[in-house]
Amino acid sequence: MIDSLAMEWQKLRPLHKTSRMVALAITMAVVVSAIVAAAMASNGAQMSLSDRRGFDSVGTSLQGINAAVLVVAAFGALSVTREYATGMIRTTFLTQPGRLRVLTAKLGIHAAVAGVAAACACLAAFAVGQALLNSAGLSVGWGNSHLAAALGGGVIYLVLVCLWGAALGALLRSSSSAITWLASLLVVAPVIVQILPQHVIDLFGRWLPSQIGQQAISSSPNAHSFSAWIGLTVLAGYVAVTLVAGAWRMARTDP
Amino acid sequence: MIEVRGLTKRYRDRSVVDNLSFRVGPGAVTGFLGPNGSGKTTTARVILGLTEPSSGTATIGGRRYRDLRHPLREIGALIDPGGVNPNRTAVEHLRWLAAGSRLHSRRAEEVLGLVGLAGAAGRKVSGFSLGMRQRLGIAAALIGDPPVLVLDEPINGLDPEGICWLRTFTQALAAEGRTVFLSSHLMSEMAMTATELIVIGRGRLIAAESVTAFTERADSSVRVRSPQLDLLEVALAGAATSMWRVDDALEVAGIGIERVGAIARNLGVQLHELSPQRASLEDAFMRLTADASEYLPQPAA
Ligand SMILES: Nc1ncnc2c1ncn2[C@@H]1O[C@H](COP(=O)(O)OP(=O)(O)OP(=O)(O)O)[C@@H](O)[C@H]1O
Ligand SMILES: [Mg+2]
Repeated sequence: MIDSLAMEWQKLRPLHKTSRMVALAITMAVVVSAIVAAAMASNGAQMSLSDRRGFDSVGTSLQGINAAVLVVAAFGALSVTREYATGMIRTTFLTQPGRLRVLTAKLGIHAAVAGVAAACACLAAFAVGQALLNSAGLSVGWGNSHLAAALGGGVIYLVLVCLWGAALGALLRSSSSAITWLASLLVVAPVIVQILPQHVIDLFGRWLPSQIGQQAISSSPNAHSFSAWIGLTVLAGYVAVTLVAGAWRMARTDP
Repeated sequence: MIEVRGLTKRYRDRSVVDNLSFRVGPGAVTGFLGPNGSGKTTTARVILGLTEPSSGTATIGGRRYRDLRHPLREIGALIDPGGVNPNRTAVEHLRWLAAGSRLHSRRAEEVLGLVGLAGAAGRKVSGFSLGMRQRLGIAAALIGDPPVLVLDEPINGLDPEGICWLRTFTQALAAEGRTVFLSSHLMSEMAMTATELIVIGRGRLIAAESVTAFTERADSSVRVRSPQLDLLEVALAGAATSMWRVDDALEVAGIGIERVGAIARNLGVQLHELSPQRASLEDAFMRLTADASEYLPQPAA
């Protein structure tokens, strides 16, 4: 296993693409968080006292993960599909014939990189968001009791999405179809769901990955959503099912 | 030692490789010949654990590829010149292979030197010519210093100097006692490189023998020149299977050279030439696989 991990790490290391994708995810998270926080801060003056008390300062500062999520998903998917596209997967299997061992090592290394990137993105987004909210007196600072759970939830959400991307990549073997599916599930589905009647949204909206992500960073519970940890468990279930299918295809179909 | 036993690979209902069995021993370059689509690449992929056979086995030193702990140290392979991320440099590509086989990363530079790519180590593979990619593939095959090598069409894209290099190189590897298994389309090149041959057609074994035995097995003809050739031709007609004129000579097939000499003496004709015509490997190959070629050019209607 150590040599499988070493191999995956070595593959990742010289890739300028990797650092570029990590930088892109962090930048997008920070920029979007800044925009959302700035908008909230400018509204701050008109907010009632009860609104201020119920304001989710932490969650608002972490809105940027909704922008980073697609980059992280693509990072996971490309880790597998690029190898199939270049034919490098054959060289990989010649070096390490155990298909599941290769997949496990790949998931491990990419989840670790995604985890570090997600932690940097969440911390930076929170710092920038709080600085902007501060002008309207809406910041809560680093001592907030909910902060650790929200940061942890955000990071776990992004890591799960990265694994989901890799699993879909192993299942579909094509960058374009894997990314199309991820974009549909993560970005398009929540938009389409909005046109459904409200009672349907209330019933089924909670199963959407985007809702799950929203709850993971939020400190205000929503009656029509799963709680943060149940939601993340549901997402982990999606990942597990896709992973079983992807692993099966990787092991059974000739590269 | 590579051993293939009762190997069959079916795609849908078509048998691409059909109950194929052969052994490739150490200390020799063994050529793997067959017309297009006869199943050479499929067989190599099965040996390398990239294709699951429908039935039968392929083993390297008695073990299946998937059971090898560090395959690159036991068998080196060139299966297609792709298999490389073009955005990487040559040395980066070889370093991850070394990492996956627990080899020192220094091996990457060493094998690049062996294949004459030391000067291009830091260049991106996307800028490589076909021949350079082929050399990089051979470098990758050598990275674990393996006792067995499987090279599928390694000559593709190599210039004459490269072909000559590969010939001496593979022969030197075999002389060190390694098993070298080499597929190619160029029979004449194989005649110079290999000493043993495995010939297949439509996925079936046609021949497994030495290059010399293979050429001898193929029909040879006898060439005769005589001032009384017409007379001789009439006399030989009953004994030979076929005859044809080449300039002032007659070539006779299906009859031993001794019989031709005896017939000429009995007739009392004078001979200017009586010589065996050895078929080239190319001829022998085409004659043997003629029935097994799937993709022959059809004459225009
Ligand atoms: N994945 C596949 N699915 C279906 N048919 C296949 C597949 N791979 C190979 N074949 C078929 O198997 C046959 C043998 O192919 P293979 O590549 O082994 O031949 P080859 O001897 O290497 O030919 P060439 O000399 O042209 O390289 C061909 O008819 C090919 O179409
Ligand atoms: Mg082939």
